[in-house]
Amino acid sequence: MVGELAGNYSTVVLMFGFAMAAMAPALIISRMLSPRKRSNPVKFLPMECGQVPTGEGRTHFMMQYYPYILMFVVFDVMAIFLYAWGSALLEIPKMATLPMMGFLAIMFGAMAFALYQSGRRRIW
Amino acid sequence: MSVIAPKFKLSEFIKSLLDNVFWIILILVLIGLPAIFMILFVIELPVINGELLTPFLALSWLVNPTRTLPIVHAFMETDIFRVIAFPGFGFAALLAAGTIFVERKMLAKLQLRVGPFYCGKFEGILQLMGDGLKLISKEIIIPAKADKPIFWAAPVLFVAAAAAFVAFIPVAPGWVVADVEMGLLGVFAVIGFFPIITILSAWSANSKFPFIGGIRALFQMVSFEIPLILSLLGVVMLTGSLNLSEIAASQSSFPWIVFLPVGAIVFFITMLAELERIPFDLPEAESEIVAGWLTELSGMMYGLVQLGTYLKLYAFAGLFVVIFLGGWNGPMVVPPFPAEILENGIEMGPVTAKFVGLPLFTQEMLNGTLWFVLKTAGVIFFILLPRGVFPRIRVDMLLNLGWTKLIGLAFVNIFIALGLLYAGVLGPGGLQ
Repeated sequence: MVGELAGNYSTVVLMFGFAMAAMAPALIISRMLSPRKRSNPVKFLPMECGQVPTGEGRTHFMMQYYPYILMFVVFDVMAIFLYAWGSALLEIPKMATLPMMGFLAIMFGAMAFALYQSGRRRIW
Repeated sequence: MSVIAPKFKLSEFIKSLLDNVFWIILILVLIGLPAIFMILFVIELPVINGELLTPFLALSWLVNPTRTLPIVHAFMETDIFRVIAFPGFGFAALLAAGTIFVERKMLAKLQLRVGPFYCGKFEGILQLMGDGLKLISKEIIIPAKADKPIFWAAPVLFVAAAAAFVAFIPVAPGWVVADVEMGLLGVFAVIGFFPIITILSAWSANSKFPFIGGIRALFQMVSFEIPLILSLLGVVMLTGSLNLSEIAASQSSFPWIVFLPVGAIVFFITMLAELERIPFDLPEAESEIVAGWLTELSGMMYGLVQLGTYLKLYAFAGLFVVIFLGGWNGPMVVPPFPAEILENGIEMGPVTAKFVGLPLFTQEMLNGTLWFVLKTAGVIFFILLPRGVFPRIRVDMLLNLGWTKLIGLAFVNIFIALGLLYAGVLGPGGLQ
């Protein structure tokens, strides 16, 4: 059942929660033990190697490799689809692999075209 | 001569003692009694040796060692023990701490230094404890205009995500925190959390160096997650299962690295990239962008991120061992539990106690854990080694490596697995 299947994962959530419950006190204890001096406002400036920081912290800068992000969206899904095929490979007949090869050929073509386009830096 | 306590009065001393007793009783009544009621009414109590474990029995058994061991046994079967102690957080944190120390010593030896030396008299073995005390007593500085809730939560979330990753790793037959059917997909889901936490922490700091480091971490994840996923597909095709325990159990006669070395190499390289280790440590390149996304983290927050990083390292090494090196499989080297103790009990002088619950751990479990830890230590050694050897690579080289070479090799690995399967070497009718 779906509920039982999801219930199996409760131990993962338990582990996640235990780590949070065990590590948050470390921060709280550290906050209680450590000195807190607010005498100098320069101390709270962002790190900029000794200079007084200028401009915004969350700056805009050029993402030169943006096509790779676009490719990731497509091919990550492809990789997970391949798992649906790969985990059932021992049960399905051998002929069923042929359409999968066709799918892979289409994806290879698409990936080659995308890599060629991402190599042309001037259009980005 | 100085006076230690000039205003000492016996009456005030007794009053302070009584005050303490009063507060202890008050807190026990307000918190302890409701907790006992919760245990009695809400939580299902285990049945041990045909008797329901009431608090009265539990307390009376605790003073009688022959009756203590069954309680310990019953406790070791619970999820709580697995999460806190053995295949879960405690075990992983112990190995992670060992990794930190070994890394510092080994790197020092590679670079003809001594490394940690003075703390703890012998080769600086107490250095980690000293570092922990130092980190916990340092001031936590939060940059002005930072997004405070996210900035505080990010290190804790990082450790928690690493712990969730550890939950999937089987250490010995049956000893795994989360024994789920889709274990490998769960691992991929958890790995996907790390760049998100990284970039949240980087964005919330409102500083330039962390932001650049966070963007670099995102790029690294993007170019290496696909080869990471594809390099494990060969093993899944040959075993027909996504359950990590079944994958480990399927390697009883030979590990998969014998047939799929290409996949193992690709997975190892992507593992280095996901762990942000040299030569792929672009997100925290200390000679270019101060410390990358860790720049604004100070004191215990940095300590937590380090702990999370090494938990993640252990989990990745464990995943490599489980998938390619055969997990817990290995020749039986642990001797069987002596039979006379089981029959006659332990004799110490005039006292003879017959213990009911011995042995606490089975022979298979000890042997499996031993082999798993040995293999994991070997893989961790090979993860640590490049740090003393390689320089850092550029971003475009990283993307090129991930997108063309590693994905191509991962597909080569898939076709090798497919060929082995259809040629009848492996799979049904083959070697297994």
